[in-house]
Amino acid sequence: MNTFSLAPLILYLPLAGLLFNGLFGRGIVDRNRKSGERFVGWLATLMTFGAFVVSLTLLVSLATNGFEAWYVPIMDWINIPGANFQVGWTQQVDTLSVTMMLVVSGIGTLIHIYAIGYMHDDPDFSRFFTYLNLFVFFMLILVSASSYLMMFVGWEGVGLCSYLLIGFWFGRVDKNGAPANSNAARKAMVMNRIGDFGVLLAMFLLFWTFGTLDYTPIFDGAVEMYKANHVVQFGGMSLSLPTVLTAVTALLLLGAAGKSAQIPLYTWLPDAMAGPTPVSALMHAATMVTAGVYLLVRSNVLYEVVRDSGALILGLISTPDLVAWTGALTAFFAGLIAFSQNDIKKVLAYSTVSQLGFMVAAAGMGAYVAAMFHLITHAFFKALLFLGSGSVIHGMEHGHHEIAHGHGDDGDGHDGHDAHHEDDGFDPQDMRYMGGLRNRMRVTYITYMIGALALAGIFPLSGFWSKDEILLHAQTHEMPIFILLALAALGTAFYVGRQLIMVFFGKPRHAAAEHAAESPALMTRPLIVLAVLTALGGLLNAPYLTKAMAERNEMHPRGFWFLLEQWGEHSIPAIHLTEEGVVHMPHTPVVLSPVVAGLSMLLAVGGLLLAWLVYRGRPRTWDEADRLARTPIWWWNILPLNTFYSRGLVPLFNRFAAWSAFKLDGEFWHDFIHDRVIRDMFVTFAAFSSNVLDAQGVDGVVNGAGAVTRRLAGVLRLTQTGYARTYALAVFLGAVGLLVYFLFMAN
Amino acid sequence: MPSAVDINWYIALSGILFVIGALGVLLRRNAIILFMSIELMLNSANLLFVAFARHLGDLDGQVLVFFVITVAAAEVAVGLALIVAIFRTRKSINIDEINLLKG
Repeated sequence: MNTFSLAPLILYLPLAGLLFNGLFGRGIVDRNRKSGERFVGWLATLMTFGAFVVSLTLLVSLATNGFEAWYVPIMDWINIPGANFQVGWTQQVDTLSVTMMLVVSGIGTLIHIYAIGYMHDDPDFSRFFTYLNLFVFFMLILVSASSYLMMFVGWEGVGLCSYLLIGFWFGRVDKNGAPANSNAARKAMVMNRIGDFGVLLAMFLLFWTFGTLDYTPIFDGAVEMYKANHVVQFGGMSLSLPTVLTAVTALLLLGAAGKSAQIPLYTWLPDAMAGPTPVSALMHAATMVTAGVYLLVRSNVLYEVVRDSGALILGLISTPDLVAWTGALTAFFAGLIAFSQNDIKKVLAYSTVSQLGFMVAAAGMGAYVAAMFHLITHAFFKALLFLGSGSVIHGMEHGHHEIAHGHGDDGDGHDGHDAHHEDDGFDPQDMRYMGGLRNRMRVTYITYMIGALALAGIFPLSGFWSKDEILLHAQTHEMPIFILLALAALGTAFYVGRQLIMVFFGKPRHAAAEHAAESPALMTRPLIVLAVLTALGGLLNAPYLTKAMAERNEMHPRGFWFLLEQWGEHSIPAIHLTEEGVVHMPHTPVVLSPVVAGLSMLLAVGGLLLAWLVYRGRPRTWDEADRLARTPIWWWNILPLNTFYSRGLVPLFNRFAAWSAFKLDGEFWHDFIHDRVIRDMFVTFAAFSSNVLDAQGVDGVVNGAGAVTRRLAGVLRLTQTGYARTYALAVFLGAVGLLVYFLFMAN
Repeated sequence: MPSAVDINWYIALSGILFVIGALGVLLRRNAIILFMSIELMLNSANLLFVAFARHLGDLDGQVLVFFVITVAAAEVAVGLALIVAIFRTRKSINIDEINLLKG
């Protein structure tokens, strides 16, 4: 018994919250709107916060336990002795999973609090918090799993929650009358399914190769089998281990691309902004979408073995390089796409795709800790930005509401958020209607500013440190990727500057912006907490200033977890493969490189400056054309994935779905199998039973017996004349007959 | 000992009486006549019993006749009561009119 045995609580607490809110939440909210909302919302928040507290105790436990991974079995799950296949519900508590648990539950708690304010008066208030707890539950399964299969349960679970929450307002239609929200939800599901397919195939291969799906045996086995030049048998085919692992890692990359919205599967994430803003912040920025990065970091041993072996896909590129290039290209192109977005949340969505690209690129280059570091700081500042944008939207809606209904209605009485009021084409999310909000929404403005500057990478905010670490690694390892990422960083600063100018600076371009008001404290306080985290998050892994300092600290480590680098090395070993075998090396400490840091700072400031030059005081009115609109957005043509999705994949899928629905399901299954075969067979048999067996058989026997009796009686009754003398004659003749018989015939 | 009458005469007489009785039952419609005919048949049987008892020197036949007479008396008592009852309801003792059990 030790504090590790508390680990299952991180699952049980959200589970309890979601069961309670799911079963009784609606009734509680319906009985008393005000106190019911408070109860349901704070219950869900408390459960997530409980998970956060437990994660903190796990952190302390790990530190006192020498950072050794600890396995907490919950129960058995699958046990097939014949195939020697065993998977249990076992949690793996190591530095990597605890880091993720803290991020998920910590940011989750803040967003729960924010959502109590944001979802106020929504008719489905309790459903929302049920889904949020469900998400926290599945996400914690994902990060605390000790095997790929258990991880996959969480993986699919968060996908389901994503679907449910993107389509939370499933009834809303867009200007064309299409059910935009449910379409977006479906799109996310379909795109994620492609990635899930990759993860599934990777799991099959792993099981075939290693005979297990648990992380530790797989990673240990991979290194040992690689040392021993193991050959994997596939029926008649024998493949070397690096070849198999190349396939596995490529498939895992496909999974990560689906979940973490990388090229070519990124298109679902911008559409996912149809969900409520807290969802965008929690799932589609801070936590869920980082699951793909987590998967890559978790599987680091596999990637390192492939990297060391030099195995190539089709002789072109090794999978770690493919990961790095996927990430870098995504970072670059998604940043470009963000230039042309006018929806405040869409800008952030493409920015998320771009930043996820940074993380994936870092993981691909082997900078796993840097990827995790950026994951954490990104979770801070992107959650902050999304919540801030939600606050802006809330304020714009308030302003719009006030124009429509006059003054005096203070604070309460919004009829749902993110609603697209159709009256004058006004859209509370469209940045063209905003402007000058810095004077109307002070807290939101300051916190948003901190988040945006962190995203741009301004010293000394957290985004600077984490992005710098990735850039440093790229600069020393892969020059082309460094150039791409540096350009992406410049683009990031540019679209951030554009957004800041359009939202907070200049003059209000719409009456709604003039009447916008600050959001309630429930919403602004989480913003302040996140702003503090964003500002100080860089301390998690601040680099050493000089090499000498780094060496001194390596020899005399400062306590146990001051730096993420030292903290992370216990679950992300740097593998060095030598002639003798594998040696786990301690990480080389990150040393601040003045060149890279200076360049990165230059790019950030340059991007912001460029944005200021282009957008200063623009657009003047809400319908003025974007200054960039004059330049053809050529990258749309280079990257026609969205078009491919909407022109190619959607009609194809629709046709297939229609074929499935009408032909396969309707004509074949329902009409033919059900109606023709099953129903008609049954009807025929029933008709036979009823008309032939029953009507003619059973009834025939019964009625026949009656009819025969009647007919016989008809004959026999003639003998009953009613004349006593007839009877007497019969008796007499009978007597004579008997007499004759006995006298003459009996002998 | 008077000269014994040949047994065949008794048998012939008994047969004639029985045939008369049977024809009476079958042909006549008056219930009273019917009863009388039945008595005639019974008594033809009695005659035969007595004749054979004497002829064979066995008293069993004699005893049986008493039983027959007793039963006949009881039968007449019941039968006459029935006829009286029928007459009261139908004002007739024609047995052809009593045909309620006609099929």
